[in-house]
Amino acid sequence: MKRPTTIDGGFPARGEAARDRDAARIGRRQFLKRAAQAGALLMAPQVVRGAVVGRDGGVPPSEQILLGAIGIGNRGAYVLSCFLHEPDLRFVAICDVKAVRRQAVKKMADTRYGNSDCATYRDLHDLLARSDIDAVLIATGPNWHATASILAAQAGKDVYCEKPCTKNIAQSVALAEAFRRTGRVFQAGTQRRSLPNFAFAIDLARRGRLGRLQTMHAHPGGLKPGTSGWAPAEAEPSREEVDWDMYLGPAAWRPYNRRWLDGFNFEKGGGMVGGGCLEWGSHCVDLCQWANDADDTAPVEYEPKGDQLHARYANGVRLIMRNDGWLPLGSCPVRFEGDREWVETADNGDIMASSPALLTGKGAKISGYPADFHVRDFLDCVKSRGQPRANADVACQSHIACHAANIALFLGRKLYFDPRKNEFVGDAEANRLRSEALREPWRI
Amino acid sequence: MWAMASGSAGLGAAESAVSAREKERQLIQILKSDAAPADKAIPCKQLAIYGTREAVPALAPLLADPELASWARIALEAIPDPAAGAALRDALGRVRGRLLIGVINSIGVRRDAGAVDPLIEKLRDPDAGIAAAAAEALGRIGGPTAAGAIESSLAAEAPQVRAAAAQGCILAAERFLAENKRDEAQRLYDAVRRSNVPLQRTLEATRGAILVRQSAGIPLLIEQLRSSDRARYAMALRTARELPGTEATEAIASELDRCPAARQASLFMALSDRPDAAVLPAVLRIAQSGPKELRVIALRRLDHWSDVACVPVLLEAAAGNDDALAQAARTALTRIEGPEIERDLLARLSSAGGRTRQVLIELAGPRQMTAALPIIRPSVSDSDAEIRRAAVETIGALGDRGHVADLVRLLDQTAGAAEQESIQKALLSICGRAGAGSVPSLMPLMRSREGALRQVALQGMAAAGGAEALAAVVSGLEDADEAVQDEAVGVLGTWPNNWPEDQGVLEPLLALAKTGKKMSHRVQGARGYLQLLQENKGIAADARLARVDALLPSIPRAEEKRLAIAVVGAIPTAAALDRLAILSEDPAVKEEACLAIVNLVGGKQRPNIAPERMQKALRTVLERTANDTTRQKAQALLQAR
Repeated sequence: MKRPTTIDGGFPARGEAARDRDAARIGRRQFLKRAAQAGALLMAPQVVRGAVVGRDGGVPPSEQILLGAIGIGNRGAYVLSCFLHEPDLRFVAICDVKAVRRQAVKKMADTRYGNSDCATYRDLHDLLARSDIDAVLIATGPNWHATASILAAQAGKDVYCEKPCTKNIAQSVALAEAFRRTGRVFQAGTQRRSLPNFAFAIDLARRGRLGRLQTMHAHPGGLKPGTSGWAPAEAEPSREEVDWDMYLGPAAWRPYNRRWLDGFNFEKGGGMVGGGCLEWGSHCVDLCQWANDADDTAPVEYEPKGDQLHARYANGVRLIMRNDGWLPLGSCPVRFEGDREWVETADNGDIMASSPALLTGKGAKISGYPADFHVRDFLDCVKSRGQPRANADVACQSHIACHAANIALFLGRKLYFDPRKNEFVGDAEANRLRSEALREPWRI
Repeated sequence: MWAMASGSAGLGAAESAVSAREKERQLIQILKSDAAPADKAIPCKQLAIYGTREAVPALAPLLADPELASWARIALEAIPDPAAGAALRDALGRVRGRLLIGVINSIGVRRDAGAVDPLIEKLRDPDAGIAAAAAEALGRIGGPTAAGAIESSLAAEAPQVRAAAAQGCILAAERFLAENKRDEAQRLYDAVRRSNVPLQRTLEATRGAILVRQSAGIPLLIEQLRSSDRARYAMALRTARELPGTEATEAIASELDRCPAARQASLFMALSDRPDAAVLPAVLRIAQSGPKELRVIALRRLDHWSDVACVPVLLEAAAGNDDALAQAARTALTRIEGPEIERDLLARLSSAGGRTRQVLIELAGPRQMTAALPIIRPSVSDSDAEIRRAAVETIGALGDRGHVADLVRLLDQTAGAAEQESIQKALLSICGRAGAGSVPSLMPLMRSREGALRQVALQGMAAAGGAEALAAVVSGLEDADEAVQDEAVGVLGTWPNNWPEDQGVLEPLLALAKTGKKMSHRVQGARGYLQLLQENKGIAADARLARVDALLPSIPRAEEKRLAIAVVGAIPTAAALDRLAILSEDPAVKEEACLAIVNLVGGKQRPNIAPERMQKALRTVLERTANDTTRQKAQALLQAR
């Protein structure tokens, strides 16, 4: 193995060195490519800020984007804080099935603006019916993500939606179709698409700097599928306190039980297949899709191997989902190996590569996977009507790759997949796991 | 549930089929039993995988059960046998309210053409929610009969039904388009546009009406682009990116000249996003002579086209005085791809001068243009300081060991501190990349008359690594210049340990720790030695302990003894335990030694040491420690054993 190097181009300090050694369809396709290329121009707003900022530094109301939010817990509050920092954004309404969260977000917004204007809703229909709201942040939990996103698009809203964005392959396809049909802007909350270290490493892979791309490694953070079932009934709170029916939303009915109130994990991946692979794969598999110039497709083979999942694209590039053996660069690592060089990066913002020459032109290090840049990319596209970096077509394919991997893990066998038809080849059981009925009255 | 599903793993096809049938039989029995709803829910979900027509009779009654209907539909939507569709159609006449909406939704997902007539009846249901569900389901199924019915519902009294009918029409139009029935699709889109439906449906229908007409849709697109309504303009911007064809490109480019200034940027971005080669002339024109705001956008986007015509435009801006334009052009020049681009840039590099030459040299690094190195090499002696700097930086980024001698000579001839620093940086970068092969070229620098340059040579040796470099660094310990000695000690103390030659540094470090000229040298030697022992897992446990023993008598300070304890504490042997017990006699480090014993005995490593030896060590801890936490841990471990 070539000697690794740091972004400074010098040799690693002793500790690093020791660890490193150990670690040792034409139109739409081109459209997607443009979005992917745009992704490399990070930190370069597509809309020139000066055009909308007044002399006093404020943004005239006519240029402001009005935002509402649906389902805001811990993660959602962080992303919302990123929105609140943007000068051309005004947050006006929160919808949550839990009274405590509605009030917490209202307090956050009212404190920010020094008034008491933030409206609260329990039913997302009421928020979506407001014609003054341009866009919504959706951070409900994966059970609601796709359904709420599609309902929002149908109501004429642009959407920033936390990940995982879908519960299954059919929802992934429906999401992409809905946003194409409605012409609304969608940004998946896969903010690593907007972080410079990931973009830089991916650019090396896409531009052939590593030689011919051979193998990509993604860290899915656990490959065990999760399941959400039916727990014993508990006394149901008032609808005002927790609207259980609305919380269940598109998920199959079950009685109230506090155990399921953790929206973060409830029904992830459809409650039968999902879990870790979707939680982290929606980030790191998504980055591999980008690196392989595969934003309009997905791997064609998926094979569980020990505690790993090996996938292969039609162009021969391999994707290995594994939990161990990473360089000490933080969470969500990805590694790209060409036939000449390799590069690896993760959430601490550092990039390790087989040669310092590869790292020429690397910008400032940004660690801690902030969402600010991704939020700004979304807002710029709300104005320009361009495609954000993690648009619905991109998110569709990366989620399909994760769901297909999960189904292979669930069934415990190698699967072959046809990305043009979104069908598994010769496996009826796997094909049945591509979709799941939504509880009445929900539909997408 | 999970265990059952996973149970099919590894079974052959025939066995798997038998197993699936057996699973289905068991699941059906559960559904037919008196089991509680909680016990029937997950079996419904499993039948989505294993169910056949045999399961349908057990599932169908559940469609009227408020608690289990949604679970039953998971299976009935997934079972491909027509019996599942028949059960859902049958339920249309049996269930009411929300449950009926669910059934209709599932029929829509299954695209059951056999359900068109009963669904058309549901369009007239007094419950607007049911009629709306029917309209959308009919849209998903598609076809002339369904389309005609939902088109009629565009005039329904209930707004909810009209909205759903519009949605259904748009879905049906997409089905027609997929079958290349453009006229039918166009008729539906236009019908929606004429109807009293929500604005968003009108916008979607307008988009569809433009795209379905292809180039004949251009006038409608232009009409929307000129609309004063923000929503229509926003829709048109998206559609302007989608409508294919050169004719559309030209129409949008013409519109750019007519539109209000406030819309130019957004319209230009839509134009430049179009996947059409005919866009390039318009983008080049804007890049050269448009308003500055648009020029920045245009320059930044020129890399989308791998066209050599972009290069002179970009170079002119990159070498110009306007920072924003220059930055945008440099970004694009770094990214624009293609063999013709590469050839063009090399040719220009050979002949360009001044600022343009500087830009071209600076581009070579991030573009990885190693073929440019012979052209750039003479520029390290250019009369222009900025060109010299650019050349040195690029050689540092791309050069190999053949460039080391050049940089060494240059360093010797350069007087300015800033330029020296730049050369040093390039030198170290190449040495780190080229490894031991660069050492011979560095040796002249080791013999330089200037101590500062000999220090640079030592840094280069560290970056290069290898036995020869190590020997050079050791010789630096005897340098006449005290600053060079200090540099050599620093380099030796942090000698990179990721090569096979690593262990060769142990003896020099031990010697430095024992006989260094100054206390600070001895301390750095001891620290480097112990750190290497701690981190180099290639040294066997016994050898590691022996290495520590070799140093221990010479360690004068408690700080380094603590480091030694850390090393010994990670060796899972009885001998290590004994050594820690001895160290616990030293008042300066007794607590660290006692804690290390406790951690070694109770740690996750599970040392292969006889229990009595471990008990003895723990009793030693109890005798000597004054720390309550350590004592409690030792007692707990003793009791556990």
